[in-house]
Amino acid sequence: MIQFFGRSYDREDLIAGVLFILPAALIFLIFLVIPIVFAVAISFTDWNGISPPSEANGVGLANYEALLTQPGIRQSDFFKALKNTVYYVIGVVPTQTALALLLAVIVNQRWLKAKGFFRTAFYFPSITSSVVISLIFMWLFTRGGLINYLIGRIFPGYNPVNWLDDPTGLIHNILGLLGVTLRSAPDWVRTKVLGLTIWDWISGPSTTMISIMLLNIWTTSGTMMVIFLAALQDIPRHLYEAAYVDGATGWRAFWSITLPMLRPTIFFVVTIGMIGCFQVFDQIFVISSGGPAKTTLTIAWMVYRNGFMNSDMGLAAATAFVLFIIIFSLTLLQRRLIGERMQI
Amino acid sequence: MFGNRNFVVAVVLIVALALAVLPTAAQEGEAVELTLMGWSSSSAENDRLQQMIDDFNSEYEGQIHVTLNLVPEYDTTLQTALAGGEPPDVFYVDSFRLPDYVEAGALMPGEDLIEEPDDFYPSLRQAFTYDGVFYCPPKDFSTLALFYNVDMFEEAGLEPPQTWDEMRAAAEALTDEDAGVYGLVLSADFARWIAFLYAAGGSVTDEDFTEMTINSPEALEALEFYTGLYLDGFAATPSELDSGWNGEAFGKGLAAMAVEGNWMVPFLADNFPDVNYGVVELPEGPAGRATMAFTVCYAVPAEAAHPDESWTLVNWLTGPEGMAQWVSLGLAMPTRQSLRDQWLEQFPELEPFLNGAEYAHKWQFIPGFQDVLDTVNDNIQRIFAGTQTPEDALAEIEEVGNEVLERYQAERAEE
Repeated sequence: MIQFFGRSYDREDLIAGVLFILPAALIFLIFLVIPIVFAVAISFTDWNGISPPSEANGVGLANYEALLTQPGIRQSDFFKALKNTVYYVIGVVPTQTALALLLAVIVNQRWLKAKGFFRTAFYFPSITSSVVISLIFMWLFTRGGLINYLIGRIFPGYNPVNWLDDPTGLIHNILGLLGVTLRSAPDWVRTKVLGLTIWDWISGPSTTMISIMLLNIWTTSGTMMVIFLAALQDIPRHLYEAAYVDGATGWRAFWSITLPMLRPTIFFVVTIGMIGCFQVFDQIFVISSGGPAKTTLTIAWMVYRNGFMNSDMGLAAATAFVLFIIIFSLTLLQRRLIGERMQI
Repeated sequence: MFGNRNFVVAVVLIVALALAVLPTAAQEGEAVELTLMGWSSSSAENDRLQQMIDDFNSEYEGQIHVTLNLVPEYDTTLQTALAGGEPPDVFYVDSFRLPDYVEAGALMPGEDLIEEPDDFYPSLRQAFTYDGVFYCPPKDFSTLALFYNVDMFEEAGLEPPQTWDEMRAAAEALTDEDAGVYGLVLSADFARWIAFLYAAGGSVTDEDFTEMTINSPEALEALEFYTGLYLDGFAATPSELDSGWNGEAFGKGLAAMAVEGNWMVPFLADNFPDVNYGVVELPEGPAGRATMAFTVCYAVPAEAAHPDESWTLVNWLTGPEGMAQWVSLGLAMPTRQSLRDQWLEQFPELEPFLNGAEYAHKWQFIPGFQDVLDTVNDNIQRIFAGTQTPEDALAEIEEVGNEVLERYQAERAEE
């Protein structure tokens, strides 16, 4: 018998066990743990990403200060990226979750014909390359594209929106309709908070960002739908039967049985949705490169830009680490909120 | 669980597998193996380069053997190779990225190794000179010029513009908003506006990158002229014309003029062969003519494994003969002045681009300047959107730029 991590094992069992997990453990170690430790170490240096990392100088917390506390372009860009990313998350996560749930409930109906077709069709975007989808969306959303054409058919006299090149924010536009512009707004909106004026903070997602949000909602809801579908089919039938015996309507059963039973799944879907949204990169890379007017500058795009276009891998690593902390804390918070009474 | 023999067999198999995936050292022949890394461009250009490499290989049979490696996502691949200490023996460096690589100590100075350096256009040699050291010979280059639609100009009875005033007048005359045709397609892009900035007599920074000089009356004039064309409705952005870039909008006949480089010539020939267009040098601004030179060189890494052979290759490719072969497709322009006349005989219609080399400015700043470029683009885009004024834009660019320059100077002082 051998002692291992406080438990005793038969010697051969132990060797066999370790050998079994070795491939996965090695991959995990080499491609995940070591790079993460390396990235954290880099974030405390001024490494330019070109010369060997051993030549980089330690700069202590300077990269974090540049991002978070020291007024300047790096701080204002970081908070601009954070603002854009947060609007993106707020727009995408609830919408895609609700849409995925709706789709899952529909394709779970027993009266539905051609279930296989609908399930495949809804899931299809998820298995298509995001670059290809982005290119197709660029095509649909150009000024003279299909989207504007359809809107124009429904609302004659519609002045085509230039979806992919319009930096005006949603909330700014709504305020504009109400007659509030930067010129007519009170002076306090020009106060700078963390590198951005209050007016900039409340811009809302730009029109271009909204197009990218629609794209992402469309792509990911399929994956989420499959997860919901699996969970829906796990709910025991007898719960519904008991409810109908007690006179519950379908609507009531949905609110009182389906949703509570789906709680762990909703937590899961919201969490992976949120993580994915905070890391949005490929669509930005293909469609807008952070423009127009920095309104699609997201944190992940900023990491790439600083690391590979601006010779500042240290700052890029620090940005990535701050992003990790944001995602990690939000996940914990969410576990508190949604997951309270749930057991995983 | 398993007997000892099985265990031994398993270990042997794992070791054998591990050995199988290890690279085996090739020991065939005595030729020095070199890798040339670059990015892929049009297939015609890729084929021509491969053909040149084949010629080189047969000329140096038994001595040097070169493999051409054209990669997508070039910058990230090169950066990783350099940081990993295994750089390719020769690679492309864009003049814009040169300062980053030099400051990182990644390039071997070519000062005394480059053949006939004085034959290169001074503006292009300058583009690969940093702190007074010439690093790598330019392989080819592009400049900006004005494309105009001959049919539209003839119909309106106009001559191609030679000055800013004529350009604005032509743009106004050729705009027909109801037909969706604009005088000019104009992107909200620093890399285009900067040519106008220089033509107005303005500049971005001082010579030594100690402070920004962009907040000047000249720059304001250039910015007001450029954005004015758009704000007054004589120009539209490519996206407003349903196009990915200036060349596409021009090719579709939705704009009568476009400020672009010679890369647009093969694009139009391939995609819009029916467009009847002409090219003139960029119109003269208040301070004369100016354009931008975009150029790429063949560089050898500082830690080259075979420096002599690498420079042999570079000099062969950029020497008078190699250069003549490389530019004979008309897709790239010769960086050697001695080839000018011969080349123009073959491609007279491209003269405006080649003339630009005489007065072109380099598209190059310092490491970390991307923050400033993004800020300029951001501001031009906001002026186009009507939420920024040219005056405030220049003040903002100056502030951000000075912050970046100050940091750069502080880092240099430390070294």
